[in-house]
Amino acid sequence: MLRRTCAVIAFGWLLCVAPATGAAQDLRKHGEYLFRAAGCATCHTNEKNRGAPLAGGRALKTPFGVFYTPNITPDPETGIGRWSEADFTRALRAGVSPEGQHYYPAFPYPSYARMRDEDVRVLWAYLSKAKPVRRANKPHELLWFVRYRPLLGFWKALFFRPGPYQSRSDRTEIWNRGAYLANAVGHCGECHTPRNLLGGMKERMAMAGTRAGPEGDPIPNITPHKTSGIGRWRESDLMEYFDSGMMPDGDFAGDIMAEVVDNSLRHLTQDDRRAIAGYILSLPPVDNPVRKEKKNTDSDF
Amino acid sequence: MTKHDVRKRFIELGAAVFAVALPLGLQASDPQDIIKYRQAVMKANGGHLAAAGAIIQGKVDEHQGQLAEHVRAVQAINKDIPALFPDGSDLGETKALEAVWNKRADFEKRAKDTREKSEALAKAVSGGDNKIIVARLKELQDACKACHKDFRKEEKKK
Repeated sequence: MLRRTCAVIAFGWLLCVAPATGAAQDLRKHGEYLFRAAGCATCHTNEKNRGAPLAGGRALKTPFGVFYTPNITPDPETGIGRWSEADFTRALRAGVSPEGQHYYPAFPYPSYARMRDEDVRVLWAYLSKAKPVRRANKPHELLWFVRYRPLLGFWKALFFRPGPYQSRSDRTEIWNRGAYLANAVGHCGECHTPRNLLGGMKERMAMAGTRAGPEGDPIPNITPHKTSGIGRWRESDLMEYFDSGMMPDGDFAGDIMAEVVDNSLRHLTQDDRRAIAGYILSLPPVDNPVRKEKKNTDSDF
Repeated sequence: MTKHDVRKRFIELGAAVFAVALPLGLQASDPQDIIKYRQAVMKANGGHLAAAGAIIQGKVDEHQGQLAEHVRAVQAINKDIPALFPDGSDLGETKALEAVWNKRADFEKRAKDTREKSEALAKAVSGGDNKIIVARLKELQDACKACHKDFRKEEKKK
């Protein structure tokens, strides 16, 4: 009798709990996947100085000064432990902090604003369960004329278009997936699209590279232009690059892009890598040579 | 031992030191030439690895017979990467970061890892099991990328 009761209880427990944990696990997995694809850890971890994951402190050198990325672990004092899901959504969608301050677009909310509601929710569910780390934020060191945050309101009025990604009906589902991953979640354009003097993206030169990227380094043109872009790469070349970091000539991604491969791209599914590759190669080719040196005088190492 | 012998010894010793030091002195090449040389070597390294990768992935089966050669070349080149980065070759037209010299132990660890992964790939290729070859290639690629991540400045690529 006892054994039977136990069996019934155990069975009931399985019925109630198992599906719940299964769903929770799926949610966690989905959250982790988006977290990878969004590349949060790359900027919000000061890996070079062995900083704790997501505790911030990485210096981002830009033409406007040095930004120090904030702590986004759920620590209540120094991180985002007191944030609600609504706070998180507003940060990503509108670039506004819970205190109502504008964020600098060094935080790529103009891209994250394109994320779907469901994905933002899932990402929050994952991020809010990260390991809390106590580490106070370091103030940015910016040029005087960008220190006054309310001015960012003007910047937003000029360059920021809110709203999630709108699928294009004249394109395939895979293309739309690639566009969504590259532009909304993966925010490739934040580095690869050149900016004007005020830091707004030059949309007609999407992904055409720049000589003055983050950290002051040149960022390559990844439009499929035959001479100044990656017009000779094929879809399989890009997929290989996303997976291993190896380029068609056997050279490897280094520096920031190696981090992007390690932290984000290699964790994507083969289908998503194909979608991004296909999307990138479908971009209008833009002739924008960003290489300093002339051809055949490469200085590798 | 007479005084004369001692003097003779000294002269012999001096000649020996001179004989050893002379070629060493000649080896102090122009840093820019050292940089150009290592860029050429690295380019060859990448070329052979890309070629090996194309064969391993079955893109160019007609060149299957060349795989062992490419992999042997990669192994030979990666035998002593730090030798390509001697002191004094940090200035000039190079993308090598200062960390190559001021975090030398970390750099040598990465180089050793690359050497070992190259040897492992060569071994796998002579073994002939494609699944193992693919796995070893992946590990070598990781080693290359890890070193580039920490020790080379990223610069636009086509």
